[in-house]
Formats: sequence, C-alpha cells, structure tokens
Amino acid sequence: MTTRRGFLASLLAVGAAPRLGWAEAGDPSYIAAARDAAGGFALYGLDGSGGVTFRVPLPARGHAGAGHPARAEAVAFARRPGAFALVIDCARGMVLHRLTPPANRHFNGHGVFARSGTRLFTSEQAGDTSAGVIGIWDAEAGYARIGEMPTGGIGPHDLRLMPDGGTLVVANGGIATDPTDRTKLNIPTMRPGLAYLDLDGTILDQIELTPDLHRNSIRHLAVRGDGLVGFAMQWQGETGAAMPLLGLHRRGAAPVLATAPLADELAMDGYAGSVAFDGGGAELAITSPRGGRLHRFSDQGRFLGVVSRADVCGLAPDAAGYLASDGLGGLISVEGGRPAPLARLDCAWDNHIVAL
Amino acid sequence: MKPFRTAALALCLAAPAAAGVDEAIDRHVLPGLAAFAAATETLAQNAEADCRPEALQPAFQAAFDAWMRVADLRLGPSETGALSIAFWPDARGFTPRTLSGLIADQDPVARDAAAYAEVSIAARGLFALEMLLYDEAFAGYDAESYTCALVTTVARDLDGQADALVTVWAQDYADTLRSAGEPGNATFLTEDEAIRALYTQILSGLQFTADQRLGAPMGTLDRPRPARAEARRSARSLRNVVLAAEAAHDLAAALAEGLTDGDLPQTAAAMERVRAAAQAVDDPAFQDVTDPQARLHAEVLQQAVRGLRDAIGAELGAPLGIAPGFNSQDGD
Repeated sequence: MTTRRGFLASLLAVGAAPRLGWAEAGDPSYIAAARDAAGGFALYGLDGSGGVTFRVPLPARGHAGAGHPARAEAVAFARRPGAFALVIDCARGMVLHRLTPPANRHFNGHGVFARSGTRLFTSEQAGDTSAGVIGIWDAEAGYARIGEMPTGGIGPHDLRLMPDGGTLVVANGGIATDPTDRTKLNIPTMRPGLAYLDLDGTILDQIELTPDLHRNSIRHLAVRGDGLVGFAMQWQGETGAAMPLLGLHRRGAAPVLATAPLADELAMDGYAGSVAFDGGGAELAITSPRGGRLHRFSDQGRFLGVVSRADVCGLAPDAAGYLASDGLGGLISVEGGRPAPLARLDCAWDNHIVAL
Repeated sequence: MKPFRTAALALCLAAPAAAGVDEAIDRHVLPGLAAFAAATETLAQNAEADCRPEALQPAFQAAFDAWMRVADLRLGPSETGALSIAFWPDARGFTPRTLSGLIADQDPVARDAAAYAEVSIAARGLFALEMLLYDEAFAGYDAESYTCALVTTVARDLDGQADALVTVWAQDYADTLRSAGEPGNATFLTEDEAIRALYTQILSGLQFTADQRLGAPMGTLDRPRPARAEARRSARSLRNVVLAAEAAHDLAAALAEGLTDGDLPQTAAAMERVRAAAQAVDDPAFQDVTDPQARLHAEVLQQAVRGLRDAIGAELGAPLGIAPGFNSQDGD
C-alpha cells in the first residue's frame, strides 16, 4: 500500500521539466476532484461535453481547485481545515509543489490565480481567531509564500477575481470554527459579508446582510463579466426557516436576495453548495446536494425553475447553460432549464467544478 | 377525481423495469396515493355537505391516516407536493398567521377552490385544516361563517392536490423511475439510482420521524417543547409516528421483495418494537413530555424508530451497497 509520504515522494522525484500548456493536458475546460470507486481520490480534467482529458491521483479528498491561466497547472485544495494544497502538473500527472500554510493559518478550500498567472491567492483563516486572510504565493518562484492580507471578516471561504483583474471579491462566511474539527463556535453572533480588495490588500468595499439574515453564511461566489456577483449561502439558523440562499451584488448597490417559492425554498434544506452563471450570463443557478436540486434565477433574482438530481453540487457555466456534477458520478448539462445526461463515471464528484 | 382508475391504468401500461422499483411503485406508492386521493374526495364532499368541525373531523382524521402512508416520500412530484399538503414543521407560525390574515380580510379566495392553489402553502393542506377544525382560535365558527367557506375550499383544494399528485406520479414520474438508466433519463442515470432514490426515502423518512415528529416536542431535557408536536391539535402526534414507521416498513418490504428474497426479519422485529414502545406512551399529542417519566417513554419510542432505520439499513441498504450522499453529508 502506498503511504501518503511515499506517494508524494515518488511524484516530486521528477526533476525540473519544461512547463506545458493546457493543450498538453487534453485542453480541458474544467477541473474537478472526485473519489473513485475504489476509495482513492483524484483530480480530473473535463472537456466541454463531459469527457475526461486527464486524471491525476490525489492523496486525500479535495474541495475546490484553481487553474493556472496559461500553464497546465492546477492547485488542489484539501478540505477545511486544510493543512496543504498541491500544485499539480496536469499534463504529466505529477505533483510540482506542496503548499503548506504558515503557522496559525489553514486553507479554507478555495483559491484563485491572478490573471497574469504570477500570483496565487488562497482563502485562509487564523487557527486561533478564525480571522480571514488571503495568502499570496509567487507562482513564478516555486509558489513561495510572499505575504497575506486580511479579508476584513471571519471564516472566509470562496474568493474570485473581478473582471478588472485588479480586485478580489471574498465571501466572509462569518463562522468561527474550532481549528481541529470544524465545530462552529459563534452561530449566535456571526456576521457574514462580502469584501472587495485590491491586490495590495486595501479593502475597497464591504457589505453585510440585514440582521435577520446574519445566520446566512455567504460561502460561494460567481462573477459575471460586467462585475455582477452572485453569492450562495448556507443557513445556520432553525430548520424550516426557508431563507433565501442566493444573493446578487454589484459594487455601490445594495445586495438583492433571490427567493424561490416557499415549497421549493424548503426543499433546498437551507443549503446551497455551488453557484454559477450560465454560459450566456443572463441567468445563474445554485445547487443543493441536501435537497438534490438545482435552482435557476434570472440576473434580477427572479426564480426560473428547478432541476432535480440526487446529490448534485458541482456547477459551472458551459457553452449554452450549465455543467452540473454529483456524488453519483453524473455529469449533466442544463440548457434552458432542461437537463441532459452527458456521462456517468464510476466516481463521486466533489463539491465543485472549476472552469478554466 | 377517479384516482383508482388512473393508478390501475398506469399499472397496465408500465413496462417491466428494475427489480424492486416496480414493487415499490405498484405495491406502495401508487396505491397509497390513490387511497389518499379517495379519502380527500370524501373529505371535500363531507365539507360541502357540512363544514362545521364536529361534522368534518372524522373525515379529516381518515384523510390524514391515508396521507401518512405516503407522507414521507419526497421525490418527484412529492418533493414539493408533500409540503403544500402537509406544511410542517412551522416554527415561524406561517399557518395561523396566513389563515388569520385571510379571515380578517374576508379574502374572497376562500370561496374559489381553483384560485386557492395560489395561496401560500402554509394556508393549504392538512395542517391548515387542522388549525381551522381544532384550534380554539379558529374552530368556533358556524355554518354560515367565512371560516366555514374557507374550510370547504381548503378541503376541495386538498383533494385537487391529491388528484394532481396521483396523476403526475402515475403518468409521468413512475416512468421516470422505471426507465432509470435509459438514454435521455437525466434524473436517474443508471437503474441502481432509482432503487437508491426509493431506499433513501425510507431512511430520511424515519430520520424525520425520530428527529422532528419525536425530537421537536421532546426538545431538550431542560426545555421540552410540547407545543411543537406534529398534529397535536388533532391529537395525532403519536399515531403519525406509528403510521410513518409502518409506511417506511411497507416500502422497505416492497423494495426487498423485488431485490432480495423479500425476508427482512430484523426489520419486522424492529417494527414490533416501535409498536410496543408506542403502546407505553400515554398522551397521543405528546403534551406530557414535560414529565420525566413520559419523556422517557418518548425517548424509548425515538430509539425504536432509529432501531427500525438501522435494521433496514443493515438488511436492505448494506446488501445493495448504498452509502449516504457524498456531498449532502459533507457540508461546505
């Protein structure tokens, strides 16, 4: 049996090699992590019709990832509280670097590259206080840790680059957690919000939700080309409260909450796991693996309909609609609200699909 | 309005499909829905004849009994359909608030069963009727009152919901389950997924019974919450627990008949323990959970329901190799 240490050693043993572009990894449109039938974990590259372009084993369950804008390099983040992230050469199927957060920091599952590809930004929090920071890594210098900047909130989760390329938007989930086991420590007083930072760490804008929504943890983000941000939430209050799980925000304006009809909202079970705009950008959707459903909304926040699929969670834009993935191994395209199966692999797709 | 005929038609037309799925649909789901639709038709007719509480309560109880056989199915048309038939739990008090608003405004929608389908689901279905027929804040109405008309309309709307559920199940969703794995089926990509979906209903239904039907009124040791008991006004809380457990057992038996040799001895014994534990509970509405001894009886019943869930998991789920959802169990 391969130990984790041996696994990494064997992959790291390959010496310096020329850097390859995404074409060398089969030109994937997406990366997604999964658990294979035999119980192992892997990172997959997927093309636009759900075909596998590469598969690289991972030593543990992943959460989300980040794809380098030019090189065939993906960063796979461990689940919270993440002690490591792996930079993977997707063309050769090997681990290039293992990123370890500094003392009293752990990864929170998401990260994003700068448009130039020279920097990697990672969502992190302080182990003792859960205060959020964005870790900065130099992708041109072996992913050296070169700094960090506060997110202005507690328990950040997803972060995205805004269309200007010079601004990051961060979901400050608001939940302080025990550094060892994800136990939630501050539900009665949590204050989730969105923060916009420039790449030097200056906080440009911050919003919070109204007090009645303070237990609605903002966790995942989608950004449209014109700067409209969709944010997906997870309700931490009483079950059956039927709170909205999607919001829309544009800098300088108040957030707009997108509500579904009461029965549909209840069927989501207070939980949205992913959010994405569709390929055209006129609508966006959230998924609930607990409810086994995908909810579509207009970019004004109007409910458009539901697609049912067991354990659905991963969601990304595709050419004409969405690509959705699920824990049963399914890859499903949704166009105009109509689902069509693309593939079913013998694996369980993890929470997120990352579009490249 | 003729639910039995609809269901029978579906039986004849159905193509043979995955073992277990047919048994679950034909022996459990469709007959259960048809019986519920028949009971709501009776309820609506009775309401049209006499809408006063004492006259209507027996038909209400019969309809609720019929509902419990299919109440915990939450897939296909039942996913949201079950919520507008049985809006519970209602921690924020939507049902009394919405009904009070309609009555205060004398909203004309109470005299239009077709339009009533657009009213908030909190004011529709069995729990709206229960509030109107049993709660002292509502139930003192006479035959000429607005509330009496409202009751009649809620009953007729409920029957319409039941008929719609039967129709969509029989004419559409049953085929979605039966055609699991066929090209173009985007809901169930393999045959196994349909079995998994039905099996999941059993476990999540029993989980709901343990955590909500029993757990909600039990609250914590320091703070029991008897006012949160399901259907306490109609004194059905205990009965609903037993009927929900029996429905889960029945669905498990139907699935097992198609999948294994059909014999579930541990499950049958666990069901007997649920019945025995229910016998020991004194208050059918769980209003006595503030008393330590009565609370203990409720806890024993809760354990028995969880025992039934575990037995079904061991005898049916384990041989099928079904594990809980990868993402739904993760939470991030």
